[in-house]
Amino acid sequence: MLNPLQKRMLRRRIVQAVPVLLLATFSVFMLLKLLPGDVAITLAGENATTERIEEIRRINGLDRPLLVQYGQWALNAVQGDLSESLLSGEEVTTTLARVFPNTLFIVCYAILLSIVIGVPLGLLAAARSGGLADRLVMVGSSVGVALPNFWIAMILVVALALNRQIFPATGFVSPWQDLSGAIWYATLPAVALAASGVAEVSRQLRSSLVEVLGSQHFRTLHAKGLPFRSILWRHGLKNVSVNLLTVISLLVNRTLAATVVVEVVFAVPGMGNTIVNATLQRDFPVVQGAVLVMVLTVITVNLITDMLYSVLDPRISQR
Amino acid sequence: MTKRPEEIINTLPPLRRRQVLAGMAGAAAIGLLPRGAFAQDGNVLRIRANSNPSSLDPATGGAGSDHVFLYNFYDTLVDWEPETLAPKPGLAASWDFTDPTTLVLKLQEGVTFHDGSPFNAEAVKFNLDRNRTAQLSNIKKDLANVSEVQATDELTVTLTLSAPDTALPLILSDRAGMMVSPQALNNDPEANVDRAPVGTGPWTFTGWTDNEKVSGERFADHWREGIPGVDGIVLNVIPEAATGLRAIQSGQVDLAYQLDERQQQLVDKMPNLTLVAGPTLYIYQVYLNSARGPLQDVRVRRAMSLAIDRDAYVQVTQAGVGEPAYMNLPKAHWAWSEEAAAVTTFDVDAAKKLMEEAGFADGIELDMRGYPDQGSVQRQEFLLAQWAKIGVKGRFTNAPISEASGRFFGDEKVGDLLMSAWTGRPDPSLTYALMYGQTSYYNPGRVAPPEGYDAALQKSRESNDQAERAAALSTVQKLAMEAALCIPLSIRYEVDATTDRVQNFKANLLGKPKFRDVTLG
Repeated sequence: MLNPLQKRMLRRRIVQAVPVLLLATFSVFMLLKLLPGDVAITLAGENATTERIEEIRRINGLDRPLLVQYGQWALNAVQGDLSESLLSGEEVTTTLARVFPNTLFIVCYAILLSIVIGVPLGLLAAARSGGLADRLVMVGSSVGVALPNFWIAMILVVALALNRQIFPATGFVSPWQDLSGAIWYATLPAVALAASGVAEVSRQLRSSLVEVLGSQHFRTLHAKGLPFRSILWRHGLKNVSVNLLTVISLLVNRTLAATVVVEVVFAVPGMGNTIVNATLQRDFPVVQGAVLVMVLTVITVNLITDMLYSVLDPRISQR
Repeated sequence: MTKRPEEIINTLPPLRRRQVLAGMAGAAAIGLLPRGAFAQDGNVLRIRANSNPSSLDPATGGAGSDHVFLYNFYDTLVDWEPETLAPKPGLAASWDFTDPTTLVLKLQEGVTFHDGSPFNAEAVKFNLDRNRTAQLSNIKKDLANVSEVQATDELTVTLTLSAPDTALPLILSDRAGMMVSPQALNNDPEANVDRAPVGTGPWTFTGWTDNEKVSGERFADHWREGIPGVDGIVLNVIPEAATGLRAIQSGQVDLAYQLDERQQQLVDKMPNLTLVAGPTLYIYQVYLNSARGPLQDVRVRRAMSLAIDRDAYVQVTQAGVGEPAYMNLPKAHWAWSEEAAAVTTFDVDAAKKLMEEAGFADGIELDMRGYPDQGSVQRQEFLLAQWAKIGVKGRFTNAPISEASGRFFGDEKVGDLLMSAWTGRPDPSLTYALMYGQTSYYNPGRVAPPEGYDAALQKSRESNDQAERAAALSTVQKLAMEAALCIPLSIRYEVDATTDRVQNFKANLLGKPKFRDVTLG
């Protein structure tokens, strides 16, 4: 399925991912330790003595040098053991297996919406470049990019969950248990996340399409009598597909990050909420595990994007 | 390239038609989505809780916010009247001080734990001994006056006290009186049920997903007639107050407790919600470390208390919902004392004069500590503005509650003051002992209280007569306020919202709601 060049690229990318993972988890670990605060004090409760706090530090290995703590964690992580939450004692892998699908579901939903709505709008704007539709789409996308997604989330809640109870305002249903329920619960968070995505996709698609449509070989296509419809759909879209893919892959990564705020607004038990709670309580194994999964996701998305580049534009893998 | 109009017309109709069709299909799909969560799922009470519990074992937990969870799975030996907190029978059907240092409890008959083991005098002895002596117990201090517990017969327990303590019945309505199944602990006092509570309460525990929800289902063999009022209970953990209110507005929960005071106006305006509000024992206050720097001088402490306009404080930080606090209890409480409350007023000139007398006319700089949430920061800003008028300056260093209070009250003793709160205790004598006693955790400087304080406090625990107790407690409170050992600011009001389905829900003075009577219409 993969040609030798693609295979080489895949191998190179996987090797490159290792230092990225180490750097990301290490810097998050150090940042967490730099913050004032100590999970041992939380664990010890309100009336704890210094000895008790020291004991808890010792039991949990929090008294060891930072590099040793990180090294131990990394060593275990390589073997698939993300250790357990210091507060609840739950295996971090269990926690992540529970919350990550929720986040992934919302992100995929949001990306799908961005594409399904953004691409037709971009096409419309490009086809009517300079016209009323173009201006409307461009103004709309400027607004979409400018508005913060948590604000859009609030407005959506007021309009569609409180004034008219069409969608629920908070909570989540796991897609494994009830797919249609999950879609129903995820709609508002996904729409909030997709607002900037739609804007981004339509805007980028329009500008690259307008550029391509104005190029000389499109004039040739026009001159040989091809209808504008075919030029736009068959040749235009194909030519901008690499740009579109870049926009979407960047969008996936950004949407993943944006879930942190949106999940809090909608009380979604996902990665964002987990990271926020664990950080506030300095529960570092949970934060580390969650960051690891997030970084892995981003790396995977980038890798898939690169592979698709070479499919869409064979020149890329030959370079 | 300029396009001719006909090109555009050629291009667009199919696209537009397709879009319109897609849009219509989408709209139709939304209409077809299941409305499952709006349909009420059986007879389950869904509650918005504001924090993840620290533990579901009454002996090991450390947070005042845990009670709302614990009450569902455990019964207490003594219960209280919601409005007044006067003690009434719980798992103990009656109690009697046969002499000032002997308390005899008669237990309810026919009570079983969720795991089927019987509730009897041995179980009570096991629990009380565990609570007062086990290494893991966080509540040893509550039972400090109990020197021996005996199971006299199957349903009689005798507590021998080292000193007279009439506060004990109400202490047994709190964590110390929550009965855990000894069988679930394998009769090992050092074992815990942190993650799997087993008590005699109205619901049996069915699950706890961290930071998401805690749930329970009806305990069919519960000893109270017709209790609980609903088959199941789910506490959804939604820390963000605005999200919590939205959850009840849009119908994902039936009840939300301890909303922000500033949300009361919002709840009032919503036709489908009922507001349940009232005073609580929860009090916003500034803890002072009277063993450090300028705060060793009582005049400085008094000045800092006098400089605060508490009426404005309630307006600014609680949207006017609450009452200014001039002592450590709300006005509605039986032990509220006019005499003690009169010690503190709002008087900037007097405060300035006290600062001058203390030799700090040029002002002082303090190391202030607090919590990072938005409400706390607003309270801190208000205090800084008030104190600036008398030359008290400083900066708040904020950290999460457990950490900030751990470092301030614990052995580390960082900071001169902590902007925090007191969540209240059922018996006021407990509040005074815990807050101002010389060895108490919540007295960060471990300074000795004023002369006569301990004697008056002891006196309040020797009488069984409420008026006599109130008089003794008034002396206690007056001494504490004169010494300005801490700075009470305002009483928090309980602001709860329920939907129309919820019936028989009452707020209580303790500010920690119980749900066993609630039914769903």
